[in-house]
Amino acid sequence: MITLYDLWTLSLSMALLALAIMAGLILGRAVSARRAKALKAHREAWLPRLLDGATDAEFADLPHRPELLVQLASELITLVRGEEREQFVATATRLGVADTLRRRLNRGSNRDRIVAAETLAFFPDDRSTDALDQALDDKSPDVRLTAALALASSGRAPPLAHLVERLRLGTQETSMLNVTLVAEIARDRPEEVTQLLMDDATPSPLKAAAIDALSGSGDYRLVPLVVRLALEADDEAPELPRYLRALGELQHPAARPAILRGLASRTWFVRAAAAEASGRVGLVETVDTLLRLLDDPDWWVRYRAGEALARLGRPGRDMLHEMSCLGSVRAREAARLTLVEQAAR
Amino acid sequence: MSGFDWQSAAVASATVIAWIVIGTGLLQILLYLIQLVFAGISLAQRPPIVRSSLLWQRYANRAPPIAVLAPAFNEEVTIVESVTSLLALHYPEFEVVVINDGSKDGTLQRLIDHFDVHPIDRYYDRTVGHQPIRGLYANPRLPRLLVVDKENGGKSDALNAGINVARAPLFCSIDADSLLESDALLRAVRPFVEEPDRMVAVGGTIRLANGSRIEGGRVREVCLPRNFLALVQIVEYLRAFLMARLALSRLQVLTVISGAFGLFRRRLVLEVGGYSHGTVGEDMELVVKLHRHMRELKRPYRIDFIPEPVCWTEAPEDLTILGRQRARWQRGSLETFVKHRDMLFNPKFGRIGFLGFGQVLVVDVMGPIIEVVGYVLIPLLWAVGLLAVDYLLAFLAVTFTFGIFISVATLILEEVELRRFPKARDLAILTFVAVAENFGYRQISNFWRLRGVWQFLRKQQGWGTMTRKGFQSAS
Repeated sequence: MITLYDLWTLSLSMALLALAIMAGLILGRAVSARRAKALKAHREAWLPRLLDGATDAEFADLPHRPELLVQLASELITLVRGEEREQFVATATRLGVADTLRRRLNRGSNRDRIVAAETLAFFPDDRSTDALDQALDDKSPDVRLTAALALASSGRAPPLAHLVERLRLGTQETSMLNVTLVAEIARDRPEEVTQLLMDDATPSPLKAAAIDALSGSGDYRLVPLVVRLALEADDEAPELPRYLRALGELQHPAARPAILRGLASRTWFVRAAAAEASGRVGLVETVDTLLRLLDDPDWWVRYRAGEALARLGRPGRDMLHEMSCLGSVRAREAARLTLVEQAAR
Repeated sequence: MSGFDWQSAAVASATVIAWIVIGTGLLQILLYLIQLVFAGISLAQRPPIVRSSLLWQRYANRAPPIAVLAPAFNEEVTIVESVTSLLALHYPEFEVVVINDGSKDGTLQRLIDHFDVHPIDRYYDRTVGHQPIRGLYANPRLPRLLVVDKENGGKSDALNAGINVARAPLFCSIDADSLLESDALLRAVRPFVEEPDRMVAVGGTIRLANGSRIEGGRVREVCLPRNFLALVQIVEYLRAFLMARLALSRLQVLTVISGAFGLFRRRLVLEVGGYSHGTVGEDMELVVKLHRHMRELKRPYRIDFIPEPVCWTEAPEDLTILGRQRARWQRGSLETFVKHRDMLFNPKFGRIGFLGFGQVLVVDVMGPIIEVVGYVLIPLLWAVGLLAVDYLLAFLAVTFTFGIFISVATLILEEVELRRFPKARDLAILTFVAVAENFGYRQISNFWRLRGVWQFLRKQQGWGTMTRKGFQSAS
């Protein structure tokens, strides 16, 4: 049982202990300031030789500090391109940078492992590839995703289906970086992404990420697939507006059934996305529906409907002019200001 | 029949009072210790602070557009520099919405003259209420800038106008006199990119720029101020941000995102009716409303805090202004607590009701009152012989020595994990301040907070006079 007097002694001991630790840290800082100066001098010695691609003999004269080399390598690699980068990576590999990074990826702290995975993306050797592949099973989801992005950015990613399983993409890992990952893989192996989309077992968030990744490709073969997904999706599904936006980007008239369904949705964000897609695809037949949506209770739907009408060209703009005089107060305002904004562009 | 034993009754009453004071103090210390542990875990597991170029490479393609809302009231001295600095932020897609809240000085004219903005028409939302907008101004050559001129209604009213006018899915509320790090938005958006379906709001670390070298709207060199009050506030901000908010975020019970920098999902803020009027704690109230809303919808969500410094502000250096600020903060906390008191220990609100509101109850509602009662009564009761010396020592432990431990431990955490203060001398000075603040400053601070309680009880409104002098460079 702690007595009141014990509280006093406990607090005093804790305060004194904290002060003692702080004193140690201040002392440590004073010492490390000197070390930092030495490190800075070493850095200044290494930097020009690394940039100039010095010979091994020239490097041999310099003090070997693995942590400094790793730091310099991770800073410099992103600054150079093409042959210069290849040469730089080869030099860094010879100097043992890749070895240090692999060790860190295996045994470092969470932060060290992430930085190591990010930097190893630039080292194409088999051992680095293996190390990154092993990191796909790391205990930290951040490290796993970083390793996957590193492999994908350098065209070394394992089959997408394996990645989905190992990283639990779309179920546990729902980051927007999934889109980047899929887009990187689609650059070299688009068929794997299409297969992923066809697979009924693929989780919806991952399908949406894959569609986001592919929507800028202009590949019309995607249209029927995205239309099917949009028609099958629940009316309130968060993926539905992403499908509709992708259809808008693809700008193919075959998107019509999905857009018509979206315009009639009970959910505001679906109506807004469908209105936007309708304008992009140029579905003139939706003019009446879009006019009705100018009086939608949700501002975003009204805004997107106005924008879509303006995009539809003459028929849409004529109707906006008419609505700016005849519609409800809400619709009149939406129509008038859409016209003003369009004129200012 | 024996007579009433006044002596025993007095001793018993004194003991009860002492136990209430010591018990409340201990409860606060316990909460701080828990916060220290969780802040430590959070810092140890945080992702690396990467360079801006890597941040851009990784997040730029996926970062959603952001509207930066800068409310301005009588800011003619600093407005041009602040807006110029905001327009130079590194972020793929953003717009700066400056809301002139009916300034009585030349704030609007300075904006018109310097940025050559002209009246425009723009279609905007009217979901949340605010004072009428008198005009919108823009310049086609500066597509990222929009100036809103409205009738005066206070900071929350101005922010509501900004939320209505903004079109980005996220908005960042700032103080017009804050300085943002150039990559602040990229750093703060990371949780929204990584957890897009759950993230509701993100707060960032605010640091004090007093004493630092500032050039071109950027903090170029971090230095300590010479003013003692500013130094004490540096230690206070470390405790508030590095320890409390980081830990509360880790526990998912964060109830405050500072008005100086917060990133919010616009749609959800509209759903809760935007910022409330008639409170000086509108930043805290908004976060609590978001918790309530998401809990009622039974949707999984997160409200996070990032330990990376994103925003710099200048702390008051004189007692009058600082006292006014602290009384206002206290009043804001009490207003939010009382308005949402049904959330306290209510199982419907889960951990936010127990831990989040429990912490507000102990630290903000009971804490200052009981501590001041302790300062007056415990030494007095001991002096007249009604309390044993052990009670006095326990009281000193909970008010002074544990306080020193918590402050110094936060500095240790800072030094071990972040090392933001460049010189060993800075650390020595801050350690001295962490000890010294417990003798005098802490007591004055409690007095200010009591004044806030009094103002709350008298239902006093308003912010008091704010004096803007612009950032003072140490150079």
